[in-house]
Amino acid sequence: MKILLVEDHLELSKSIASYLTQEHYLCEVATTFDEAREKLILFTYDCVLLDIMLPDGNGINLLKLLRKDGVESSVIIISAQNALDFKLTGLSEGADDYITKPFPLPELHARIKAIMRRRNPHKNNVLTFLDLTADLESMECRVQGRLLHLTRKETNLLLYFINNKGRMLTRQAIAAHLWGDYTDNLDSVDFVYQHVKNLRKKITDAGGTDYISTVYGLGYKLNAAE
Amino acid sequence: MKLNYRYTIAYAVITLFVLSVGFAIVYGAMSRSVTQSTIGKLQHLNDIIAAQLASGRDYTGHPARANVRIGRASTADTARQAQLVQVRQEWEPSLQASVSVVRLTTYPRIRGLRYDITSKAVVVMPSDEYLTGIVLVFAWTFVFLLALVVILSEVISWYILKPFNAILQGIERFELSQKTTIALQPSRTMEFNVLNDFLMKMTSRAQSDYQGLKEFSENASHELQTPIASMKAKIELLMDSELTEKQLLMLTAMHDELERLAKINQSLTLLAKLEHFESAPAPLTDLSQLVLSTEAAFADLAEMKGLRTTQHIAPGVLVPLDESLARLLLNNLFSNAIRHNLSSGEIHVVLSATELLLENTGQQPSAPVSELFGRFKKGNAALDSIGIGLAIVKRISELYSHRIEYTYAAGWHRIRVVFAPPA
Repeated sequence: MKILLVEDHLELSKSIASYLTQEHYLCEVATTFDEAREKLILFTYDCVLLDIMLPDGNGINLLKLLRKDGVESSVIIISAQNALDFKLTGLSEGADDYITKPFPLPELHARIKAIMRRRNPHKNNVLTFLDLTADLESMECRVQGRLLHLTRKETNLLLYFINNKGRMLTRQAIAAHLWGDYTDNLDSVDFVYQHVKNLRKKITDAGGTDYISTVYGLGYKLNAAE
Repeated sequence: MKLNYRYTIAYAVITLFVLSVGFAIVYGAMSRSVTQSTIGKLQHLNDIIAAQLASGRDYTGHPARANVRIGRASTADTARQAQLVQVRQEWEPSLQASVSVVRLTTYPRIRGLRYDITSKAVVVMPSDEYLTGIVLVFAWTFVFLLALVVILSEVISWYILKPFNAILQGIERFELSQKTTIALQPSRTMEFNVLNDFLMKMTSRAQSDYQGLKEFSENASHELQTPIASMKAKIELLMDSELTEKQLLMLTAMHDELERLAKINQSLTLLAKLEHFESAPAPLTDLSQLVLSTEAAFADLAEMKGLRTTQHIAPGVLVPLDESLARLLLNNLFSNAIRHNLSSGEIHVVLSATELLLENTGQQPSAPVSELFGRFKKGNAALDSIGIGLAIVKRISELYSHRIEYTYAAGWHRIRVVFAPPA
């Protein structure tokens, strides 16, 4: 899957690109409006990660140009504007999603996956991790074929784990993913513990193996090795 | 006190003073002129007596001689002066009263001989009835003048101060965030025009300063978010490498601090944005729906803390409020109600057509509740919160003229938002 990252902050773009490469994406980086424009004319990307404030132009204008030129790539806006700016001014019009800086990298990954799935609804509808499966259509999760009775948040949590398997997820990243706009609560991270605990219990109760490990009490990891 | 009242009072005091002085002058002048005219009459009489003496005939029984004494003068007297006037208070038997008596002595030379002729006349000085009359005249003049001043000052000041009142209204309506300059009309009065010019300059400068500050604060916080995002990303990448527990703990601490920094920055930007937010005529938002969905979104958090939530939501409550802002307001209120609650505490939510009431159990705040609307004010220093949520809530309420109150009593925190009537 090919991704174009349009971000003028060099270090941030390096980090994002390196993370996405680890997740087996093909990630190219453009640091200016013109460079991004050129790349988008020459090549086809599945997804464009677009910063709004570019040194030589505005990302929103680039987005408008893209849509006018009939470029079909999904677009996720990466911006320092907060969520309210998007809602009040309709900044994200024409984009598939937006994510505000700073964001946990796994969150970006989850958003990209979600968008890709929306684009290809019939492809790859079942997420699998060893004997865990999650049907994204019916939102049913199974362990060794047995149905798990999960709440919506727990389902969401399991999907997040499977999407970021083998990677440590901090409590903040999980909180941000589960509660999104609602997590102005810095202490909502304490609730993450509860949700993870419940999820693990439901999996083991259903006879599955608990692949989720606690990383020194700092975060969690879905890992086959444990 | 209104300007024209002050003027009227000052004018009344001045009038009273001037009239009093005028009265004194009139009184003095009248007294003097009465004496002077008597002296004039006596001079005339003395001239007649002198003429009689010069004629050499005998006028002893003549009525002119009734109040006249004629004698021979010594040269010493004539050397002193041509005439002598004496005004004295004397008992007058013919009037049976003590009156002023004017005596005039002249020293004519008649056929080589010097005489002294002293005539006298009784003068009624304008002391008693005169005085009352004059005082009445002045008093009535004063009353009439005052009445006229009071009435006219209303009319004239309305007319003259019209541009000034327009300026006042212009200032009242003026907002720093408005795009246009302050609306002031030119006047025919020089001072008002000077004031206009001054206000124009002041406000346009304040506006440009404000605009600059606004842009700066927006840009600064945006510029901050990107480096924070970069640092966080690097820490996350580092966390996935092989590290010792100690290193991981330090990284996590850094990560948490960055998270906090980002949140503070975000909240401040949001607050700044709301300060400058120009609320267009507000669309009506269905608060019943929103309260229910917000409650549902927080249900799991409340449940995990063992909180019992009761709600009485009137259906179809439409309130002038932007929907995104309403969501933000409710999020902040609910998350506060959960965060600052006791374990196994309670939350009551009551939404009626006129107000939203959110009550929750909780510890007594360490600061007075009215201060909790300020930035970085926390009722409980132990909790890991930023302390901007309520400031945001207050600002959103103010934007749409909803009244917000926060009280604490007997273990219950109560936040009441009284909706402004729809325009």
